[in-house]
Amino acid sequence: MSEEVEILGLTKNFGELVALDHIEESVPEGSIFGLLGPNGAGKSTTIRLLCTLLKPTDGTAKVGGLDIRESPVKVREITGVLPEEGNHTLYPSLTVYENLEYFGRLYGVPDDEIPGRIQDLLTFMELWERKDDKTGTLSTGNRQRVALCRALLHNPRVLLLDEPTSALDPVAAKRVRELIMSLSQKYRQTFFINSHNLAEVQRICDRIAIIDKGKIILTGKTTELREKLHGQQEYRIRIVGDPSKAESLVRSVDYVESASTEVDTIVVRIRDPLQNNSKLIRKLLDAGVNVVEFSEEEASLEDLYLETIKGGSS
Amino acid sequence: MAFSKAMLVARADLKMALQVKYVRLSLIGMGAFGPIIALLLIVLVVASVPLGADYYILMAFFPPMGATLLAMFSVIPATMISANALVGEREQNTLEPILSTPLTDRELLLGKTLSSFIPSIALLLAGTCAVLLGSTIAFVVTGKPWMMIPDVPGLFLILCAAPLVILTAVSVNIIISGKVKRVYEAYQSSGMIILVLMIPMLVPIVTLEADMPNPNVIWLANLFTFLISIILVTVTWALALKRFNRDTMVSRR
Repeated sequence: MSEEVEILGLTKNFGELVALDHIEESVPEGSIFGLLGPNGAGKSTTIRLLCTLLKPTDGTAKVGGLDIRESPVKVREITGVLPEEGNHTLYPSLTVYENLEYFGRLYGVPDDEIPGRIQDLLTFMELWERKDDKTGTLSTGNRQRVALCRALLHNPRVLLLDEPTSALDPVAAKRVRELIMSLSQKYRQTFFINSHNLAEVQRICDRIAIIDKGKIILTGKTTELREKLHGQQEYRIRIVGDPSKAESLVRSVDYVESASTEVDTIVVRIRDPLQNNSKLIRKLLDAGVNVVEFSEEEASLEDLYLETIKGGSS
Repeated sequence: MAFSKAMLVARADLKMALQVKYVRLSLIGMGAFGPIIALLLIVLVVASVPLGADYYILMAFFPPMGATLLAMFSVIPATMISANALVGEREQNTLEPILSTPLTDRELLLGKTLSSFIPSIALLLAGTCAVLLGSTIAFVVTGKPWMMIPDVPGLFLILCAAPLVILTAVSVNIIISGKVKRVYEAYQSSGMIILVLMIPMLVPIVTLEADMPNPNVIWLANLFTFLISIILVTVTWALALKRFNRDTMVSRR
């Protein structure tokens, strides 16, 4: 699989401030990449560099095989960008349709194809009825949807989206996530997404990187990172009756690494869980503990993210 | 460079600028103000002053004054439209999307320039035709001898110097668009630029001979203004091209 985005030692300084410090990353064609990080970490700067709005201080990047330093115009032709606070980046005095039509022409979409594409996208985003409304009169969420349509209008090979679902309601955010996954699968479009939304990144991204203070401090496939988390997997045992008795029993077992009680639930960490989970349940049942639920705590990137950021900051 | 893309930007900018009340007022108001004032004065003198020395002295001032008035009033809308087209993008956060398109810097700059240049020149030419036609009608109706207003030096000023001053106004806005954050700050730049056009108005007045402006001095003043305009437009345009840089514009958000 060829690399659609290759970041090669990309560095950006704003005067004394080092916004990006020799970052390296690659995003395969047709995949969804998520860049996570706290505010001011360098996420938006990375997108601005990739779409050639900013010039690198050092290093470079290739988008669709094109060097951002050498072929900026061609890079812009094959990228669709949703800038930070995308819902504020529409021309408020133009209608939804006029905004999209203008950008369709600027991106070189053939005149006869523009109306069809606008209709398809607006229909998908449930905004076709509002095509003649000035964007200044739309709600924040609807403006964000129009801005997303603008980024998708010319069928770019690479989409650089800065917080794509930030202003959307849960239903609209779900639709956008589905759209991203479907475009990536059907048309091999590559997505580079900046996000604060860890659950979203976990759900749709094939690969993620965590950036802090201009440096990538953790990167990997989402599945690999989840496996990494699996070593620290916790299980929840909900019981009816006295939890303190059950907790002491759980603690007495040598393969249990830790145990704590949350109301009627004992949270445990078990060594070699595949072998020992069933043993623990049997032991509890034999001791007369009324176990009503045994569940795996869903592995979350949030802990890893917070731990990584904390580690990076210290 | 694709001229069609530049025209696309120009059309969109003009359309958006015309939705701003101040710009609309400046285009209509300033576009009409110069020719109306010039015509009113001409009609007043032609209709009320009998033929004689006084009449000829008064009428001698109209060609240089009229041309300067027309030229000056065409610069103001150019400044306002270009301020909206350039600083307005920054003000309404639309700078990043437009800079993310495949437009080259030159296409974008040309588009932004044409959006202010075309309507301003159209306004200037329409005003000039209106004064020429209106004054001719006044002469015919009153039976007074016909004079060409604006005269040849005036037309030279309108056709050669004024477009350059308009371009200067636009390029000054390109230069300052990286620094100012509000459109009204950019509007103020027009005040200084218009001063250039005061030269052909003031020089003939301060060099009167027998109470009449000297035609040679008028020519010289207009030529001088033209030369200054060439220098100004060259310097400001070179600076604008150097200054117009995506990195600088985005970095200074």
